[in-house]
Amino acid sequence: MAYSNKVLDHYNNPRNVGSMDRNDPNVGTGMVGAPECGDVMKLQVKVNPETGVIEDAKFKTFGCGSAIASSSLATEWLRGKTVDEALEIKNTDIVNELSLPPVKIHCSVLAEDAIKAAITDYKNKAVTQTVAVASTK
Amino acid sequence: MTEYFELLGIPRSLHLSLDVLQQRYYELSRQFHPDRFMRSPEAERQKALDLSSTLNDAYRTLKDPLKRAMYVLSQEGFDVGEQRSKDVPPELLEEVFELNMALEEMRGGDDSARPQLETAEKNFTNMLTEVDRQLEVLFEQYDHAQSRDKLTEIRGALNRRKYIQNLVDEVRKSLAPSP
Repeated sequence: MAYSNKVLDHYNNPRNVGSMDRNDPNVGTGMVGAPECGDVMKLQVKVNPETGVIEDAKFKTFGCGSAIASSSLATEWLRGKTVDEALEIKNTDIVNELSLPPVKIHCSVLAEDAIKAAITDYKNKAVTQTVAVASTK
Repeated sequence: MTEYFELLGIPRSLHLSLDVLQQRYYELSRQFHPDRFMRSPEAERQKALDLSSTLNDAYRTLKDPLKRAMYVLSQEGFDVGEQRSKDVPPELLEEVFELNMALEEMRGGDDSARPQLETAEKNFTNMLTEVDRQLEVLFEQYDHAQSRDKLTEIRGALNRRKYIQNLVDEVRKSLAPSP
């Protein structure tokens, strides 16, 4: 099965590859995987706590071209979105944008899972912080 | 869909004697052989054909310990498909991620990284052997008391095995002389 041009573009020039300090309270980290294909995907968002806007997004994926492209695209879309807007990104949006064939749909699911995991991690940190601040008062 | 163990007339277990399995397979293959149904009514002939095709699938699945375990998991309602697999323990993902990072770093280097890659290959292979040993134990425990918890553990170990197998393949690819 040939990859679409968009997949190839993201695969050859992945956007936003890298990593951020996961101990930073404003950084949410999502780590997901699909053992059947040996894929593992790490996606991170850096959120402005005042505005709730995602200011930076990074990823690192070990897996097939479609998994890399799906997460690369996800980081592009995440930048500038609010946390709540980010949660509205659906795997089907990724499938359509990248023209993923049916056998590669699970790669887009993985990317959606990674977004959700990263945001959940950020939200959990935010809550813990608030609790910590409250308890010191 | 006929249950594979039932079709072969052997008790459902993760350990089984390959001799017995093969013997049962041959017997039933003869029993369902199309030649024996040449003069039978269409419906019966079709049934024999279906059975012999299921029998082949059953034999192929059950003779391989890993496929056998996957089959039992799927029969018990575990999601083992390609599409999605949740509940991968975070520690496993972290571990696999780190191993992949290390491997990528070594591959990015020049020939001087070769000894490191060779060490990595040895380590990954050892890890694979270790998982296989764990699986052996888990299979045995499952056969004793067929509990769902055991199957969850087995699924976890199979996931880990798949990841490690991938790493072994990747590191071997890097070590192979370039074409």
